[in-house]
Amino acid sequence: MTKTLALAASTLALMAASANAQETLTISVYSFAQDAYKEALYDPFEEICGCELVIETGNSVERMAKIEANAADPVIDMAVISSHDALSLAQKGLLQPLDTSKLSNFDRLYPAAQNPIGDNMAVGYTFYASSIVYRSDLVEIDSWGDLLGPELAGNVSLPNITGTQGPLTLMMLDKAMGGDGQDFSGVISRIGESADDIVTFYSRSSELAQLMNQEEVIAAPVGRFAWSRFRSSPLPFAWAEPAEGQAGGMNVMLMTANNGNEELAYKLMDYWLSAEVQTRIANALIDSPANMDVVVSDEVADNLTYGADLINSLNIMDPAAIIANRDAWVEQWNTEVIQ
Amino acid sequence: MFLNRKEGLALALPAAFFTLLFFLVPVGILLSVAFQSDTGWSLNGYFEFFSKPLNRAVFWRTLKLGLLVAGASAIIGYAAAFCIVSLPPKSRGRIFGLVVLPLMISPVARTYAWIVILGRTGIVNDVIVGLGLSDTPIRLLFTETAVFIGLLQLFLPLMIISLVSAMENIPRDVIPAARVLGASWLQVFLRVILPLTKEGLVIGGTLVFTGALTAYITPAILGGSKVLMLETLLYQKVNVSNDFVSASVIAMILIVMSFTANIVLKRIASVRR
Repeated sequence: MTKTLALAASTLALMAASANAQETLTISVYSFAQDAYKEALYDPFEEICGCELVIETGNSVERMAKIEANAADPVIDMAVISSHDALSLAQKGLLQPLDTSKLSNFDRLYPAAQNPIGDNMAVGYTFYASSIVYRSDLVEIDSWGDLLGPELAGNVSLPNITGTQGPLTLMMLDKAMGGDGQDFSGVISRIGESADDIVTFYSRSSELAQLMNQEEVIAAPVGRFAWSRFRSSPLPFAWAEPAEGQAGGMNVMLMTANNGNEELAYKLMDYWLSAEVQTRIANALIDSPANMDVVVSDEVADNLTYGADLINSLNIMDPAAIIANRDAWVEQWNTEVIQ
Repeated sequence: MFLNRKEGLALALPAAFFTLLFFLVPVGILLSVAFQSDTGWSLNGYFEFFSKPLNRAVFWRTLKLGLLVAGASAIIGYAAAFCIVSLPPKSRGRIFGLVVLPLMISPVARTYAWIVILGRTGIVNDVIVGLGLSDTPIRLLFTETAVFIGLLQLFLPLMIISLVSAMENIPRDVIPAARVLGASWLQVFLRVILPLTKEGLVIGGTLVFTGALTAYITPAILGGSKVLMLETLLYQKVNVSNDFVSASVIAMILIVMSFTANIVLKRIASVRR
């Protein structure tokens, strides 16, 4: 009996010791495609580092609130988020600048991804183009301005201002109306005048895909990451290449301030940015690569925002402009469009 | 009856403790946010909320749709309940089962069905265009009409159930007696059925009105961002703008509206006595 107890105690002690020895890294990510990430990124990384990854998911607002609430004693070590959300965290002093010398793949990133929010507070890991998806059998789209034209009245949906796609659409509509893509008050008023012609302001690309497949909507701006939902439809959907070009956005990686787990976080970031992992994630049609060395087939490329020519041509919005003006846009939007 | 007072209280303790700890305390903490500002306790959250035209519009729309849904369900509910209680017991059970059936289906599935039915290629528009009432399909989705239809379908069974239970308690002979004595059907309804079923109407009315105020899925899917209701606005405040003060203010407004509805309905019922 005593022997058994002693054996049990020593086993427990050993288990505890090995649990302590195994480091953990807590990361905060978007909740989509987690199975694919596990296969392409999390599992291989755990094997390499001999550590344990703790994955926290949720929408951006929840995840940012969690980082802010635990600023004194960070529970999240590393996060991926949109560039303007990252900048808003940086402005609150919740992030630490990245030591890019610890990222061996840093030089292989597209220049736009290397220091997207300034002060090396983040690096971009994926780009996405935004353009207009439309029914090629019913309409022809040549310009962002067509969205508010008479041909599409009553058949068009726009993204809600509160999402990521909303400001991008405003920027491109402003350009189509001859603006500089900076001051959106004119374009919001213009959308307000046409509010009755807009079926709805969608919040999620899945919602839009459903509306378009049900023929409620025949054209709408959307991110390229959602293109596969339309490509597989029996209806003839096309991706517009408007005269003003396509809009673009970027998601970035960041490190919370004083998390005490920096070494491991750098290891994961570097691995995530490597051509090997970015290729795997691209082939799974999840994220378009930010690493210039990634090579994918034409078919995969067609589903992504891929290649230097395309990425360099994107109209990428200044994250600082989004943060500085978002409240005013939402206020005007609520008064002139929603009401 | 079987227990003395002490034993009764002791038996109620676990349930009371559970409700206090897991419902009243968290709700109290959450709602207290609605009365706080940087300087301490205040009603600023409410002034600020009602100072915005959009919020006022959403408040009035929610109240209007709640009242319309409650009113329409009372009218349809009385007709349906009267029909059900007039049936022989066997058929009554079957029909009652059919009324309850929608309550067993997820509101998400039910609401998505409305998207298909009310859509441009849906059956309603097929009929409208087929009958020549309109040349092109009319826009039904993402309108107040769509939200009204969705909410009515969602909560009508609750009104029917309440009214059927109330009508089953009407003494069998009073309606024929009123008719024999020369009352018209309208008089029978207003002076016999309504007074005798007012408890059911109060319960059904409160359930439908509060249900319509606090429903989230139906206005979110059928109304979208163009037909915001208080509940969908609350969700936006929490999940999009991380604004818990406004969200708590909205929650408090919804609670006050629900209680007021119940008090007013009870008052109306007691006046008719």
